[in-house]
Amino acid sequence: MSANPFCTTIAEQLNTGILILDLDYNIVEWNRFFAIHAHKDAKEVIGKNVFTAFPELPQKWFERKLSSVIQLNTQSFCSWEQRHHLFELSHTRPITTDSHFMAQNCTFLPIETDKVISHICILIEDVTDVCHYQTKLNKVLDELAKANRIDGLTQVFNRKHWEECLDKEFSRARRYDHGLALIMFDLDHFKLLNDTYGHQCGDTVLIETAQKISSLLRLCDQFGRYGGEEFAAILPETDLIGAVDVAERICKEIEKLVIKFQDKDIRISTSVGVATINPNDKRYEDLISNADLALYEAKATGRNKVCSAKEIEYILEE
Amino acid sequence: MNNVNLNEDQQDCLQEIINVAMGQASDQLARYLDTFVYLKVPSIEQVSAQHLSDTLKYEAQSVAVVSQGFFGYEGIRGEALLMYQPKDSDRLADLLGYEPDELSVEEQIIDLSSILTTTFLNVFASQIDNQMSYSAPRLLFSSNADNNTSSQSSISEHIQHNSFNWDTALKVKISYQVTDYSFNCDMILLIPESAIINITSVIDRILEEY
Repeated sequence: MSANPFCTTIAEQLNTGILILDLDYNIVEWNRFFAIHAHKDAKEVIGKNVFTAFPELPQKWFERKLSSVIQLNTQSFCSWEQRHHLFELSHTRPITTDSHFMAQNCTFLPIETDKVISHICILIEDVTDVCHYQTKLNKVLDELAKANRIDGLTQVFNRKHWEECLDKEFSRARRYDHGLALIMFDLDHFKLLNDTYGHQCGDTVLIETAQKISSLLRLCDQFGRYGGEEFAAILPETDLIGAVDVAERICKEIEKLVIKFQDKDIRISTSVGVATINPNDKRYEDLISNADLALYEAKATGRNKVCSAKEIEYILEE
Repeated sequence: MNNVNLNEDQQDCLQEIINVAMGQASDQLARYLDTFVYLKVPSIEQVSAQHLSDTLKYEAQSVAVVSQGFFGYEGIRGEALLMYQPKDSDRLADLLGYEPDELSVEEQIIDLSSILTTTFLNVFASQIDNQMSYSAPRLLFSSNADNNTSSQSSISEHIQHNSFNWDTALKVKISYQVTDYSFNCDMILLIPESAIINITSVIDRILEEY
């Protein structure tokens, strides 16, 4: 490899794979690391075309990559995050990771002889370890991000995330002049239920009610737990008639719902307030206030029913 | 901070070296990409860590950012940031000469960043009788990433909230335009405080030779 005796020794001892190609992609040289992990004989590799010796290489991509190294006379890189591996090599953690082939960071180096590019050196780093832990970390981050959005008991969106969704939907509806409806639910006599059957019963009711309402909404609707026994749904692109229709249906389904707790059949009902975005709403909180007023109206006029913000306006005007 | 400021002669000289490098880089890129590549007149300024942090926060709303470290002889080193608007990436594979399904958008962005950075800096280095080496380019954050959106964005938030351990840096901003592909991106070279002195002494040597 070089006149310097250290270079040969180090290249052989290095924990990095070295593969040297000429400009016709024939393999001129490799080091011990590469040979060991490729499980190939030198005679199958040295002097052979790189695509013959390593048929797993994506040929077109590889050629274009090397052409940038040759033409621009510059280094090029390939990370495991974009391509897990280029060469099918074994790695040093076959037992404690589930990676079949070595995850690789590859560097392509132009090599000049008398100021003209004559060869390309490919360096292969084993990053199976990094890949393993980064994958685990990403999984945990995803779980954390999910936990940060979900209400632990009912598994629907929590208040914080639900409000963020509403904030976004509100701005979008404002900007594009689209419809947006809000439905708020408050379970009737929930405190009495807790006092009579205990909090575990209350929890079961919350879980099953949340599940039921979720199942009756569209995929694009965003449903969350607003507070104790209050839930709320955001319905994008929906007008008042549509939203009241959905609310009525949910209200009836909840009334029919029979929740088993121990050996008792628990029946519940919910009061519902509906509001849609109107030109006076400056902030998403205004929309919540309107739905809240409608909800209060439903509670005050007998429970287990749907009231909408429009009706209240009408009543107030009279 | 005063001792790291470039005087007018030094600034002119650096500007001139960069201009020449830009010309050659643009020529090489045009031949490799088989289309015209325009490099706009660079801006050279000193920036504070706070200023850069604010810029990143602002730009991170809508862009992908790729970072690549560079280092040469005589203590010349820094970090190159390539910044993209999301719409810029539509025809990248085409521009790079790959089949669109051969590589992900992330890989295209990283690949192009590395090509732009290393081509320019190689020519720049040869202007000052130097030679550059590079770290592997890394995608700092991307709003294009539709997989793992949640964790990606939280990582980017984390990066933005990092406080930097330097006060001032030399910032060279070069805008690239590939009109045939209606593609634009910005390359921002940041040379940390400790390396500015090294680059000024190289500039001084060049000035003396004239």
